[in-house]
Amino acid sequence: MSKYLDLSIKEIHELLVKEEITPLDLVDEALNRIEDTKDLNAFITINDKVREEAKNLGKVDKDNLFFGIPIAIKDNIITKNMRTTCASHILDNFIPIYDATVIKKIKEAKMLIIGKANMDEFAMGSTSETSYFGSPLNPHDKKRTAGGSSGGSAAIVSANIVPFALGSDTGGSIRQPASYTGIVGMKPTYGRISRYGLVAFASSLDQIGPMSRTVYENAALLNILVGEDDYDLTSANRVKEDFTRLIGEDIKNMKIALPKFFISDIVDKEISNKIKEVISYLKEKGAIVDIIDMKYLDTAVTLYQIIAMAEASSNLARFDGIRYGFREDNTKTVDEMYTKTRGEGFGDEVKRRIMVGSYILSGKNAKIYYDKALKVRDDITKEFARIFKDYDLIIGPTTTRVAPLLGTSKDDPHKAFMDDVLVIPVNMAGLPGLNVPIGKNSENMPIGLHIIGKAFDEALIYKLASFIEEGF
Amino acid sequence: MTNYVPTIGIEVHVEVKSKSKLFSNSANTYGMATNTDVNVIDLGYPGTLPTINKEIIKQGIRAAHILNCNITHKMHFDRKNYFYPDNPKNYQITQNRTPIGTNGYVEIEVDGIKKKIEIEEIHIEEDTCKSAHRGNVSLLDFNRAGVPLIEIVTKPCINNSKEATSYLTKLKELLFYANISDCKMEEGSMRCDANVSISKDNTLGVKTEIKNISSIHNVGLAILEEINRQKEILESGNTIKEETRRFDDKQNKTILMRVKETGNDYRYFIEPDIPYLELTDEFITDALKTLPLLPDELREKYKKIGLTPLQIEKIIANRALNSYFLGLLEYKTNYTIAINLLLSDIASYLNKHNKLITDTNLTYDKLVTVINSLESGELSNKNIKEIIPSLMETDKTLEQLKDEFNIKNITDNSFIKDIITKVIENNPDSVNDYKNGHDRAIKYLMGQVMKETKGSVNPKIANDLLIDTLNK
Repeated sequence: MSKYLDLSIKEIHELLVKEEITPLDLVDEALNRIEDTKDLNAFITINDKVREEAKNLGKVDKDNLFFGIPIAIKDNIITKNMRTTCASHILDNFIPIYDATVIKKIKEAKMLIIGKANMDEFAMGSTSETSYFGSPLNPHDKKRTAGGSSGGSAAIVSANIVPFALGSDTGGSIRQPASYTGIVGMKPTYGRISRYGLVAFASSLDQIGPMSRTVYENAALLNILVGEDDYDLTSANRVKEDFTRLIGEDIKNMKIALPKFFISDIVDKEISNKIKEVISYLKEKGAIVDIIDMKYLDTAVTLYQIIAMAEASSNLARFDGIRYGFREDNTKTVDEMYTKTRGEGFGDEVKRRIMVGSYILSGKNAKIYYDKALKVRDDITKEFARIFKDYDLIIGPTTTRVAPLLGTSKDDPHKAFMDDVLVIPVNMAGLPGLNVPIGKNSENMPIGLHIIGKAFDEALIYKLASFIEEGF
Repeated sequence: MTNYVPTIGIEVHVEVKSKSKLFSNSANTYGMATNTDVNVIDLGYPGTLPTINKEIIKQGIRAAHILNCNITHKMHFDRKNYFYPDNPKNYQITQNRTPIGTNGYVEIEVDGIKKKIEIEEIHIEEDTCKSAHRGNVSLLDFNRAGVPLIEIVTKPCINNSKEATSYLTKLKELLFYANISDCKMEEGSMRCDANVSISKDNTLGVKTEIKNISSIHNVGLAILEEINRQKEILESGNTIKEETRRFDDKQNKTILMRVKETGNDYRYFIEPDIPYLELTDEFITDALKTLPLLPDELREKYKKIGLTPLQIEKIIANRALNSYFLGLLEYKTNYTIAINLLLSDIASYLNKHNKLITDTNLTYDKLVTVINSLESGELSNKNIKEIIPSLMETDKTLEQLKDEFNIKNITDNSFIKDIITKVIENNPDSVNDYKNGHDRAIKYLMGQVMKETKGSVNPKIANDLLIDTLNK
């Protein structure tokens, strides 16, 4: 059995250029690995045309690092002619007629979509246990969660089924599963990557991002995903840049802030200790690391619950059984059709969030909760800006604990949000944030470092992440 | 019966003219085959996002300007959330908090008294799709979904049905002339709702809303009927309920549709998919640059060049002919002859052949030669009727047409004098009548002259000569 997919993509690319292997070899290997890791439940749909696509890819382009490289796509990103379910019963028969902008870019780069990754239903959850298709498992310990909501994507990369996956991050959904499964996950700046074709959960927070085995490969994939899109008014018009360009540079005199909140009691001791080791290492290498006070970080989860649920209640209103997706047919009135379709089509967590969101926006509540949350959100953004006047980057642990056992947070919906307490502030401010693995705990579970940058400063994040990945 | 004072507010929706829909690039047209002018955005497909059609924002600016509104420079869109099958996303993108225009007015004149009908606000929003009910199935046509609308809301400042119809007539004329909307009520491109209440004192009575009235005339009738209905209820000691009604023009009655439930809760919030729009002065100036002359400005202008009130109203009532006439004003010619010609022979030719004047071969240069020939008497009104089709349909010059139709208007004085002498000799009675001060006799004598010459003498010259001869 071949092991080409264990190689770096640079090495794979060389083999393709030398015609020692073909894209079909890579796809067949990936399909075998999917078969061998079926128990991970990481995929919802396998692309049954992928072998054909691999054969028809044409001549290898020696300047295109991604030619023929397989990738998994989180199942809330729209793929033309390939079922896109959002891990929900309400879309379990939904075959889209268009491609998301990122999917167009993936296809232009001649990458091969191997399948659609499991996730929390409509990306709502932090353990991927709300999936209609059952939860994916953590390859490091199958009794544990792979995190969420991009749990399937994380498990796929972590188990090295394929080198890449796309995830989406509304309140930590790329970085937290990346941390739980020991991979690199980037949530880019809001607006960096077009959201056109990402099934909306909370429009003002959602962002697609790359998940990979290494920092370099993550930065390289980001290169092909970004860009202003006429179909997404919130996408940003930025000068084209190479996100790998600072990788390998020295970090001497880099100014790094560590907010006290990120190493407070809420964080597991073993994780705090690991972070402290990282700090020592960075200082030793000439970086300046200051422990600082930062306001409002503790309000982020509350804000997230208000803003994300409010937007979600509206975004998910379109799933009514009229134009696409599941419909309960045996009904007499329109209202009955809505009630039964949505009652059966959505799972408990989704319904809970729609109800809370509707309540938050109802009548006077909109002012009491939603408008106020937007104001505090501005304050968080300003607070980040204040810190970034003096510092290049902010660091902390990505999660307060290692991947928990499956089934432990399902009965306490509120507690589940606490898995994302350290990563949510970044979504509130629209900033880029990345998880890079920094080792394991005593149970041999991965621990991740969270690096936060200024808006559109992803390249600097990659520089520090790569430095730690190489040396720490 | 004591006097009740009615208070009326009117909401008008007009479909805005533009190439494409408000949030997608589907064509903004009318009358296409069902569900053929639709894309994934109009359908509210998962993952799709709205884009903004700047052309429609410009139309909004023009509407705000001609309705004397303050233009909102920094504005956003809002989501109005409600479930209905004709509402593809189950929210409508509209402007709730920052309407594009506020505090405007339309000046009307009723029975010689001028009044400003105050406009509370105007805003831009998307139309829903059209539903049709066949037996126990409902069908949806998405061609209309996303068509741009401007909603114009008056303050409750209208006091009777005459004011209401006069306001609507004026509003329609303005929006039509500014090329903002076709304002065809029969095609639904202009829709009216009227809110009616009555009261004996300064407090406002309970209002009812009459929805979707089919013509301006019917708005007048509906308001009259609704006022009467409310009077009867109050006189009989009952109370008015807040409800939505419709007007049945066959029965000449308003009919209950539904009783309003306490405060519709639309859960408005700022549309997160569309960033705030900053309308720069430059953008606004640019939008207003293309604004054509509006009816009141035209009235002023035409009065100055000596048109009669009747001529003015007639030409304004025909926008295409009016715009042609405006172009003619660039030429020096006799505008009274021009307007008579346009409104009579030319208008009836165009009507008969269902053509626009711009579809004909009547160039300004050609028209000016015709007008000048009419003025000098080389051409008679009778000649015009003969040559009109050729004038409109061919490239031939007036000279060529005169040859072709053998038109030789006799301007030779001695020839005309001979005829006049003959007529005077043959009609001594009329000559006597004239000498006794009966001016009417001159008309009879002129008639005889024209009869003798078969209409081929210049009537003005003949008339002058006749009077000369008689006075000798």
